[in-house]
Amino acid sequence: MRFSAVVQRLKKIVGADSVLEREEDLMLYEYDAGFSRGAPRAVVFPRTTEQVSRIMRLAGESGVPIVPRGAGTGLSGGSIARSGGIVLGFSRMNRILELDLANQRAVVEPGVVNLDLSNAVAGDGFYFAPDPSSQKACTIGGNVAENSGGPHTLACGVTVNHVTGVEVVLPDGRVVEYGGKAAESCGYDLTGFFVGSEGTVGIATKITVKLTRLPEFVATLLAIFDRIDDAAQTVAAITAQGITPAALEMLDGWTLRTVEEAMHAGYPMDSGAVLLIELEGLREAVEEQAEAVGEVCRRLRVRELRRARDEQERQRLWAGRKNAFGAVGRISPSYYVQDGVIPRTRIPDTLRHIESVAKKYSLTIGNIFHAGDGNLHPLILFDVRDPDQTRRTLAAGSEILQYCVSVGGSITGEHGVGMEKSELMPMLFTEDALEVMARLRNAFNPDSLLNPQKMFPTTRSCRETSGATLPGGGPL
Amino acid sequence: MSAAGAAVSLARELAAIVGEEHVREDAATLAGLAVEEVAPAVAVAPGSAEEVAAVLRFATGHDLTVIPAGGFARQGIGGIPERVDLVLETRRLAALKHYDPGDLTLGAGAGMTLATLEGKLTANQQFLPVQSARPEVETVGGLLATAASSPLRHGYGGLRDYCIGVHFVTGDGRIAKGGGRVVKNVAGYDLMKLLIGSFGTLGVIVGANFKVFPRPRQTATFACDFASAEEAAAFRDRLLRSALTPICLELVSPRAQEYLRQAPPPRNVDDLHPAAPVKLDAGVWRVLLRAAGSDAVLARYRQELGSAVSEELTDDGESAFWRQFLRFQQAVLTRHHNAMVVHVSLPLSAVARALAAAERALDNNFLPAAVGRFGAGSLEIAFLPLLVDPPSAMQYVAAVSAFRGALPRDASAVVTHCPREAKLHFDVWGSSPTDRESMRKVKRALDPASVLNRGRFMA
Repeated sequence: MRFSAVVQRLKKIVGADSVLEREEDLMLYEYDAGFSRGAPRAVVFPRTTEQVSRIMRLAGESGVPIVPRGAGTGLSGGSIARSGGIVLGFSRMNRILELDLANQRAVVEPGVVNLDLSNAVAGDGFYFAPDPSSQKACTIGGNVAENSGGPHTLACGVTVNHVTGVEVVLPDGRVVEYGGKAAESCGYDLTGFFVGSEGTVGIATKITVKLTRLPEFVATLLAIFDRIDDAAQTVAAITAQGITPAALEMLDGWTLRTVEEAMHAGYPMDSGAVLLIELEGLREAVEEQAEAVGEVCRRLRVRELRRARDEQERQRLWAGRKNAFGAVGRISPSYYVQDGVIPRTRIPDTLRHIESVAKKYSLTIGNIFHAGDGNLHPLILFDVRDPDQTRRTLAAGSEILQYCVSVGGSITGEHGVGMEKSELMPMLFTEDALEVMARLRNAFNPDSLLNPQKMFPTTRSCRETSGATLPGGGPL
Repeated sequence: MSAAGAAVSLARELAAIVGEEHVREDAATLAGLAVEEVAPAVAVAPGSAEEVAAVLRFATGHDLTVIPAGGFARQGIGGIPERVDLVLETRRLAALKHYDPGDLTLGAGAGMTLATLEGKLTANQQFLPVQSARPEVETVGGLLATAASSPLRHGYGGLRDYCIGVHFVTGDGRIAKGGGRVVKNVAGYDLMKLLIGSFGTLGVIVGANFKVFPRPRQTATFACDFASAEEAAAFRDRLLRSALTPICLELVSPRAQEYLRQAPPPRNVDDLHPAAPVKLDAGVWRVLLRAAGSDAVLARYRQELGSAVSEELTDDGESAFWRQFLRFQQAVLTRHHNAMVVHVSLPLSAVARALAAAERALDNNFLPAAVGRFGAGSLEIAFLPLLVDPPSAMQYVAAVSAFRGALPRDASAVVTHCPREAKLHFDVWGSSPTDRESMRKVKRALDPASVLNRGRFMA
């Protein structure tokens, strides 16, 4: 089938006003918030599960790749049409279908914005716990695909810990359910398997999530250190005390100065690092923990320990953290965010290693990360127009991830593998282990038309079924 | 070749893989490893993932059926096997892989017992929030494969929430893994979720990594009594909306109380004398709340709960109570050989209705006794047969199907224990909200020749 015929049929399914095909429209869907690029040949906006199912069948029949996309805030290229084809945009499937507070559940369409759900239930004392930094824009469907985290996942867990059921459209167009409102169900936990499968197994069209009760009391502390090593050691020392903060974030000196210049969050310009520590729960417990955290910080030579006196101050401290990437964007044409994970006791030596990598490649690297769970986000500054800088940036990123893996860590904590890190998977998995994962993908997505060339290396034996992958903008 | 001859050659070939001393085929051993009276031909204990893989490749090549086994603590769960050729024991895969107290992570071989694992953590005041009545028997692999749940789940989540990595071998002998050693990781498919609760049908778990937790320095348990399940549920709902964050929130039905007593009255278990099986304990529905924290935190609980508390347990009395609580099922089965135990999982708002439905099992000569995770909607209901008029096999079937029929669509009710004669007549797993065909796809992908636990699971 010619692609123009596919587009005609798409228009029949969803209406002409729900299909984009002009080049200038498609350009907006070439990228996400990360590094990767790839142009779709059409973008379609379904409104119902049935439409999604018909589009999947059409894609299957005509051998056209199909890629689901939420808000495009991802950082690993998960929603990019690497092999061309159709992008399925979920901005019109954005209804909260049910708020079931008695069961602490909400049922939502995949296009619902993360923060919109929390706002919808805040009046009743609940929220949706996963809070990626992009939560004002990112969608719950995207969160499910990537198993997204966020600053507050240290105590609360990531997306998979908050999803109990999904309605899924499989690549053959079949609409199935996994799980439901119950916390568990008999049989294989396909809900848990589906979350984080990066759109390679099926497309979620309905998601049942847990709602979490808002804490009674929150204490937000900003610990300012002269030396980054002291800050790094404080992280492990806090958990060694038996305290699990709701969030434990770290910004190094370079990053916090950059943030301060842009945001005026009240961060000191001359310090080595700051920790942003949030404690939540019963008032009595939080006060005790705040006291204990203070002691640990003082033992590790904190210069100053501030505590937000009210919600406004708390928001100001967080604004610096949540908008840090934007602040970096002010001073550099491009930046590359890495997402390595390490055991938290290895933070001090890993930061030293990152510093040496920066020197080796003559690059500026800032560090801002979820210190409590060892999830690093080194920010490598570069100019994408300069091929040599770009090459050095990618090499530096890969070297940092290699170090993370060498100390027992991982190449991604919350951004996903996508197309960005698909070739790095052999750092973590043997050929057999990847082959076993590929078998699972092939069981659901045998021709790999659904989100092709993601998560799995394209150069090794577990590459996708031949003929299923087309080069970007290929002969369709 | 005669059956005996086949077994001999089987044992010889397996010995070539794992060493002669790790293959057992004496009648006593094999009888001890029987599942629902079906004994294996050989028991084999590999010493590494590679040996597990070689055994499974051998099994796949010879169309043998394999039952992976840890402590044999929960092998009673599941359908009656068609036939069992090999029991693959994980007991030699019991090494500690790593333990980093500063990172609060631990990796262990699948055959390590829970007691041994706990022993590694105590010196650092850390623990894994999995509780078992038989920690010296239950193994890491067994707990994962059966998705074991215990009261601490309310505060700490279940195994799926803190198992951060799994090593396993597929049915056709590929060594695979999911996750890793760090607490946050989204590289590759989350295979922990697939293996947890797969009852040994997707792969043989050879090791796993866990996030562990600081042990609370102090706890207290508050018992609150109510006249009905509905009142208890209303209390639970108020509690779940309050600021309190207990680590356990359990329900005990009136009839279940008797089985939680420290020293139940001695009774001949085979005595069919027509005494009432268990008298109603004044009709009290008990909600148990366990709180962790400092004196100030516990004082806050007392203040918030106020007069709702009928009993407070601390120190040794509290520990002894929870130990006995974990033995609920054993206490039931010691006194009623032919009891049926059903594990129910359902939305919170459906719990009271499910308990009412269980009471209707009296139509089939059962009386229910229930305990379970009140805040997670996960209950263990023991159906106690009337001593005066024990139910027939068909009455087990009728009781289960009537009970399941009263549950909402997304509920599950798995029969985890019942007499073999009854098991012959129904599916112990029951329905699931999850698509069956998708489960079959997963099974075929990981165990293409269906060598693992054939005929015992739902998929």
